[in-house]
Amino acid sequence: MNSAIQIEHLDFCYGAKQALFDVSMEIPALQVTALIGPSGCGKSTLLRCFNRINDRIAGARVTGGSIRIHDIDIMRPDIDLLELRRHVGMVFQKYNPFAKSIYENVAYSSRIAGIKDKARLDEIVESSLRDAALWDEVKDRVHDSAFGLSGGQQQRLCIARAIANRPEILLMDEPCAALDPLATLKIEELIQQLKKQFTIVIVTHNMAQASRCSDKTAFMYLGKLIEFDDTKKIFTNPREKQTEQYITGSFG
Amino acid sequence: MSVVSSSEISRPPIQRKGFSYDRLIRYFFASNAGLTIVILLLIIAFLLKEGLGFFPGYRRELEIYRITGMEFVDLSRTNLTSHEQLTSLLNRAYFAEINGQADRELKRSTEAAALVADIDDFTASVRDSYFSATEEAAPAAEVIARLKAQYAALLSLAIKDLPPSPHLTEEERKGIIDAMMQRPIDNEDTPEFVTKLAGEYATARQKFAAPLEEARTRIDAFEAAGSELNSLVGEMTSLVRVSKDALNKSDILERERKSLLAAAASAKDPATRERLQQEAKTALAEVPDIRETTEKVLAKKSQCSEAHQKLHQSITGLTAQLTFSYQQAESVKLQRAALAAMPAFLKELEAAPAKIEAWNAAEPVHLSAAIHSFLTGKSWVTGGEWQDFYGILPLLTGSLMIAIVALLIAIPVGIGAAIYTNQFASLREQKLIKPIIEFIQAIPSVVLGFIGIFILGEALRTLSTSPALAWFPGFPMDERLNIFTAGCLLALMSIPTIFSLAEDAINNVPAAYSEASEALGASKLQTTFRVVVPAAFSGILAAVLLGFGRVIGETMVVLLVAGNRIKIPDFSAGVGAFFQPAHTMTGIIAQELGEVPVGSVHYRALFVVGILLFAIVLGINATAHHFTRKMKH
Ligand SMILES: Nc1ncnc2c1ncn2[C@@H]1O[C@H](COP(=O)(O)OP(=O)(O)OP(=O)(O)O)[C@@H](O)[C@H]1O
Ligand SMILES: [Mg+2]
Repeated sequence: MNSAIQIEHLDFCYGAKQALFDVSMEIPALQVTALIGPSGCGKSTLLRCFNRINDRIAGARVTGGSIRIHDIDIMRPDIDLLELRRHVGMVFQKYNPFAKSIYENVAYSSRIAGIKDKARLDEIVESSLRDAALWDEVKDRVHDSAFGLSGGQQQRLCIARAIANRPEILLMDEPCAALDPLATLKIEELIQQLKKQFTIVIVTHNMAQASRCSDKTAFMYLGKLIEFDDTKKIFTNPREKQTEQYITGSFG
Repeated sequence: MSVVSSSEISRPPIQRKGFSYDRLIRYFFASNAGLTIVILLLIIAFLLKEGLGFFPGYRRELEIYRITGMEFVDLSRTNLTSHEQLTSLLNRAYFAEINGQADRELKRSTEAAALVADIDDFTASVRDSYFSATEEAAPAAEVIARLKAQYAALLSLAIKDLPPSPHLTEEERKGIIDAMMQRPIDNEDTPEFVTKLAGEYATARQKFAAPLEEARTRIDAFEAAGSELNSLVGEMTSLVRVSKDALNKSDILERERKSLLAAAASAKDPATRERLQQEAKTALAEVPDIRETTEKVLAKKSQCSEAHQKLHQSITGLTAQLTFSYQQAESVKLQRAALAAMPAFLKELEAAPAKIEAWNAAEPVHLSAAIHSFLTGKSWVTGGEWQDFYGILPLLTGSLMIAIVALLIAIPVGIGAAIYTNQFASLREQKLIKPIIEFIQAIPSVVLGFIGIFILGEALRTLSTSPALAWFPGFPMDERLNIFTAGCLLALMSIPTIFSLAEDAINNVPAAYSEASEALGASKLQTTFRVVVPAAFSGILAAVLLGFGRVIGETMVVLLVAGNRIKIPDFSAGVGAFFQPAHTMTGIIAQELGEVPVGSVHYRALFVVGILLFAIVLGINATAHHFTRKMKH
């Protein structure tokens, strides 16, 4: 199995405060990897290292180890950040479409990449919306404001917007946290479809969700990676005691 | 763990008795809010009460204007005024040509005269003392000697700092100065050479006037053509003025009588009531009979028409011959302006007889005419010499044009600074920029006006005279104080408003937007201009509108810097119109309110301007409020 992301001995700090300690793992390509763990354990921090969106935060930096994608250390100073982010897409916890039309939201990444051809844009928008299982619901109103959609639809729109870039890797930080169970189910189904094309890393607090839709699961605690294995193994027969306590809910 | 049973805690009873502090505090705050609202309503009520009396009053003024025949006289007078203006233009062109040609002589003569005048001024006091001393029978010899010594000392002081004389040779200059130095104290003659220069100038003028003789006679003919109309208008003016004064006087008496009657009606004591009613009865003024004079004026209808026709004829004949091949640029410009105005003038002359015939003194003046005259009137004339007109247009255009200049400058600067500060500046820069821009707001506007007059106005004028910029419309500017200068200063005043509000609007755009944009591979610049600024658009619009409201309502700066000329700028000058002086709605109130008699039509007119201003600013703020509310994320 070839891996999409290789993390080795990663240390990460917010200013003086260390948030990740010596994390090493290999995220397999074209599979779903779930990151679980109690609040504040560093799941988002780790995820946000993969597209270096943490760079936005003043004082946040990697203090040791490396992250490699295609065998290139993405922490190198000569990395083209914009290109990296086209390569590694991201979906956020709170759906955040722009104050634009549905069409313009999906076309955004193409437009900033300089694509002007109308037919090409139409094609990208349609195929992305189809891939995000949203096309049938919005095809008659793609030029309406994105804010007119339901929460679940808005989140799928954000997924469509992210995959319009055709990334290899898709990061999802608690994508269902703000959604009701039905919308959550839809997204989970969607994830199963998407993993045929994309490597997916998902952060979730929902154990059932992790066990349902991921192939691999990583359990983190206090900034450290405690256990990383096949999802089935983690949920049936974890190696570590802490993992078992966490997934059975008898933690603390 | 200890378990406390509920019976052990003593709680106050659920039902409250007496008054509560909470409620008192609530009423206190509610009354504060209520008070402000009540005050606002009182202000509106006061404005309306004082202002709305304007229209009936103005209607009466316009009625007098009609029934006395003043309106009739003005039909002819406007044409006469245009004729005078055209004559003046032609004359200025003529003299500019001669003076331009005799420029060297003119300059030499004025420079020499300036040298003499300078020295004379310096020594004037000593000489005066000398002359009054010698008037005495036997002046003391030592006094004379002392004055002479002083005179010599002053002379040598005077020549140290004399004005430059670039058109005189060094020798000539020295000759004049020497002559002045050697001139005894009791001699007041101008040095011979200076007189000679003045003579040379006169000769040159004559010399250059000779080939222009034809022009002179034709311009004189043009001027003379208006004399008949001129004397007619003069006669009629003195006639109608008498009627107007009589009517005004009777109006005032009538008003006094009414107030006496009102006082009588409210008097409690029957004796006082009796007395007041009696007084009112004696005060009953006769309504003056003005029909006779109006008749006399109207009797001149046919004469006026004829005079117009004649004037039209002679000017049609002359126009073709009024083009002279001047050489001075100034003359050419003035002549062109005169000739350009000619067709419109001729058309007016042609139309005048019909207007004069159709005019009817008995046509009633409705209230709507007063409202119409206020809203669409092109002149604001006060002072009561002839007829007062209260037309809002010159003031409204002035205010709007100044606001346009101010916003054209302040919008890009304010919004640009806001975008930079919020999106690109480092934390240290932010901490520096924001307070500095906001500090501008703290500059008292009268200080800004000061800067406007002495620094900006002067600098702009000097800049506008530079030959490299002569192609720019309106350059060189005629006036140091004008719309553009005022607009620049108001821009400075509105930049902080626009900046702060726009910065807030941008700051309120959720960070999730820019994070999402960057996660999609957008650069900082793309994120700012494609996501953040569009999302803040309605907030930025509200910022601009509030800046606009600030500019329209500002008074001190425009009063000091706009030039205060009550006239609609001449838009035929294109962009040049922005370099003309103007007056504004705020400025006129500030300037005139202190001088008008309380309760007069003029006073009420200013209140109506105030109401209009209030309505405009209210409208702007309401729109801004609407946009701010729209900006919800
Ligand atoms: N911008 C920041 N500045 C400083 N410290 C931060 C910042 N973001 C996160 N942290 C800290 O880093 C640690 C890890 O945070 P992180 O957000 O990665 O946790 P998480 O596992 O995603 O938690 P949750 O499940 O609540 O989202 C926490 O202790 C948090 O307080
Ligand atoms: Mg998180």
